[in-house]
Amino acid sequence: MARLEIRGLRKSYGKVEALKGIDLDIADGEFCVFVGPSGCGKSTLLRTIAGLEDINAGTIDIDGEVVNNLRPRDRNIAMVFQNYALYPYLNVYENIAFGLRARKVPDAEVKVRVGNAAEMLGISGLLDRTPRQLSGGQRQRVAIGRAVVRDARLFLFDEPLSNLDAQLRDGMRAEIKRLHQEIGKTTIYVTHDQIEAMTLADRIVLLRDGLIEQQGAPLDLFERPATRFVAGFLGSPQMNFVETKLEQADDGLALVFDQDRKLPLDPTRVPAFDKWRGRDVILGIRPEHMSRSGDGASRKPAETPLNVLVDLVQPTGTRTYAQFRLNGTEITVELPSHTVERPGTTIEILVDMSRIILVDPETQRVIPG
Amino acid sequence: MNSGGATGETVAGPGGPALLTRASQAADRNFKYWMIFPAVLVILLIGLFPVIYTLIVSTQNLTMMDEDTTFHGLMHYRALLEDARFWESLLHTFIFVVVALPAELIFGLAMAYLFLERLPGRQIFVALLVLPVITSPIIAGATWRLLFDNRFGPINQILGWFAGEPVPILWTVDPNFVYPAILIAEIWQWTPFMFLLLLAALSNVDQSQIEAAELDGAGFWRTFTRIVLPAIWPVMAIAVLIRALDLFRLFDVIWALTRGGPGTSTETISIYAYVLGFQQFETSYTSAMAFLVIVILAVSITLILRRMEIDR
Repeated sequence: MARLEIRGLRKSYGKVEALKGIDLDIADGEFCVFVGPSGCGKSTLLRTIAGLEDINAGTIDIDGEVVNNLRPRDRNIAMVFQNYALYPYLNVYENIAFGLRARKVPDAEVKVRVGNAAEMLGISGLLDRTPRQLSGGQRQRVAIGRAVVRDARLFLFDEPLSNLDAQLRDGMRAEIKRLHQEIGKTTIYVTHDQIEAMTLADRIVLLRDGLIEQQGAPLDLFERPATRFVAGFLGSPQMNFVETKLEQADDGLALVFDQDRKLPLDPTRVPAFDKWRGRDVILGIRPEHMSRSGDGASRKPAETPLNVLVDLVQPTGTRTYAQFRLNGTEITVELPSHTVERPGTTIEILVDMSRIILVDPETQRVIPG
Repeated sequence: MNSGGATGETVAGPGGPALLTRASQAADRNFKYWMIFPAVLVILLIGLFPVIYTLIVSTQNLTMMDEDTTFHGLMHYRALLEDARFWESLLHTFIFVVVALPAELIFGLAMAYLFLERLPGRQIFVALLVLPVITSPIIAGATWRLLFDNRFGPINQILGWFAGEPVPILWTVDPNFVYPAILIAEIWQWTPFMFLLLLAALSNVDQSQIEAAELDGAGFWRTFTRIVLPAIWPVMAIAVLIRALDLFRLFDVIWALTRGGPGTSTETISIYAYVLGFQQFETSYTSAMAFLVIVILAVSITLILRRMEIDR
C-alpha cells in the first residue's frame, strides 16, 4: 500500500529535457495511467519512479519516504516491462520466484507464493516451461506473475500490452483491471493508447513534452478537456477541429462557415462565449456528437442541421465513418452502419451543439463555457 | 524406376517426360554437392593432407643426415614417450594455458564491464585497447624484450623509482622471473581480444532483463550468474576455446623473450618442435611429436565442445 508524491521532478539527457517539472500525487490503491504521444516523457517518468533513471531535480516520495537516493531494489517496486523482460534461461517457476529468492525468502514460502500467483493468472500448468516455449499472452502473464508474487508497494506497467495482437490485448486489459480490483495495490500504467487509458484508469495523467497537460478521471478529461491537445488525444476517431468565426445571428451567436452555412450556439451557452463575439475561434466536435437527420430518432433541441457533401465513406461494421469538408477541413462523422452513403451525395447532418467545445486559436486552450 | 517403366509400357506418350522430370530432379538434388565440391576439395587439401603427410613422415626416419623413407612403425612414438624434454615442454605449455587463460578471461570481462557504459571518449579508448591484438606477436615480444631489459629497460627503471635504488632484475634470464615476464607480455597482448568479444556479447544482453532483476532485488552476483552469464556464454565459450588453442601453440612471445631458456625452462611444445624440426632437422621425430599433439588437441576439443553446449 503506497501513496506517491512527486514534486518538481526534472530529468534531462544531455541537452534534451525529458521531464520539465512534474508535480503529481497518486493516492493509495489508485490506478493511475500515464498517457501521451511518443516522446512525451511518460516512460521516463515511470522509470524515474522505479529508480532506473537518475533525476536532475525534485523529489519522489513514497509513503512519506523520499526515495531519490534509494537503489531500485530498495524501493520495493514491481514493474512489468514492455518486452516482458523474462529471464530466458530460467523456467517460469524460477522466473516468478526470482525476486523472492533474491530476497532470501525460505523455499517453502516461495513455493506457496509462486503457486498462488500462478493460479491467480492461470499459468499453473506452465511452470516447467522456459519463456521461449510460451506464447505472447502467456509471457505477459508470467511477467505479471513475477510482479504480483512480491509484496511490492507499487506496481508499474510500461506499455505492457503493446506487443500483443489486438484480440489478446482486449482480454489482457480486462484481466489487468480485474487484478487491480483484487489486490488493490497502487498501480501506475504507461500507455500511448488512449482506449487503454480510458478503460483502465481511475485517473489519467496526460503528458506532453515533459509536462503534465491535464490530469483527472477519464470521463472528466473526455468531457471537459482543458486544451485542444487533450480534446484531440482522447477519443477515437479524433475530435474534429475547424477554424471558424463567432458572429451575431438573430438574437444569439452563431459559428459561420463557407457556403453560408451557420451553426447557432445553444442559447444557454451564449453568455459564456459573449466576449468572443466577432472573433476567430476553433470549433471542436466529436464524430459521435453528430448524426444523420431523419434517421428516426426525435431531434433534441440543441441539435442543429447542416448540409454537407460526403466525400469519403469508411464502413467498420458496427459504425460507418463519413467524411466531408467544412471550411476546407476534413470532418469525420460517425453514423449508424445502415446509413452507408456513397461519396458525392449531400446529406443533412445534425450537430449536437450542447457537446461542442470552442478553442482559443492563440493559446490552444478550451474556452470555458 | 519400376513405376515409370510400367506407365511407359501402357501409355507410351507420358512415360518419357516423367522419366525426364525424374532425372532432372535428381540433377537438381545433386547440384548443391557439385557447388560445394571445390570448397571441400580445398579444405581437404590444406587441412587433411598435411595431417596425413605428417603421419606418414612420422613412421619413416628422416633426419639431417639420412633420408630414410622406409617404414619404421611406431619407433618415434616410443621414443617420444621416454623423452623427458617432451613431457616437460608439455608441462610448460600447460602452465601457460592455465595461468594466462583465466587471467585474460577475467581481465577481459572486467574491462568489458567497465566499457559497457557510454562514457565520453569510449570509442578512442576501445581503439587504443585493441592495439596489442593487431600487433604482430613477434614484434610485441621484441618490444617487451626491450621493456624488460635489465639495464636500459623502463620496467626496471620504474621499479627502481619505487624501490629507491636501482633494480637489476634479469627478467628474461632469472628462472624466477621468466614466467612472469612471458605471462605479462602474453596477457597484455591477448586480453583485448577477450575484451572485444565480451564487450560485444555484453552489449547484446537485454537491458530490460537486467533492470527487471535489479527491481527484483538481485545483487550483482545473482544478476551475473543467472542472467548475464547464460546470455554471453556462447560467445565466451568460443573466445575461451580460441585463446586456449592459441595458448597451446604459444611460440612467438617466448621465442622473442627467452628462446625457451634459461636452459629449457620455458620451452613449450611449439618451441621444442621448432628446435628439433628446424634447427636439428629431426624431421620424422618432430612429425611424430606434431601428430601426437594434434591427437591430444582433437580429443580434448571434441570433449570440451560437447560439454560446453554452445549450440543451445
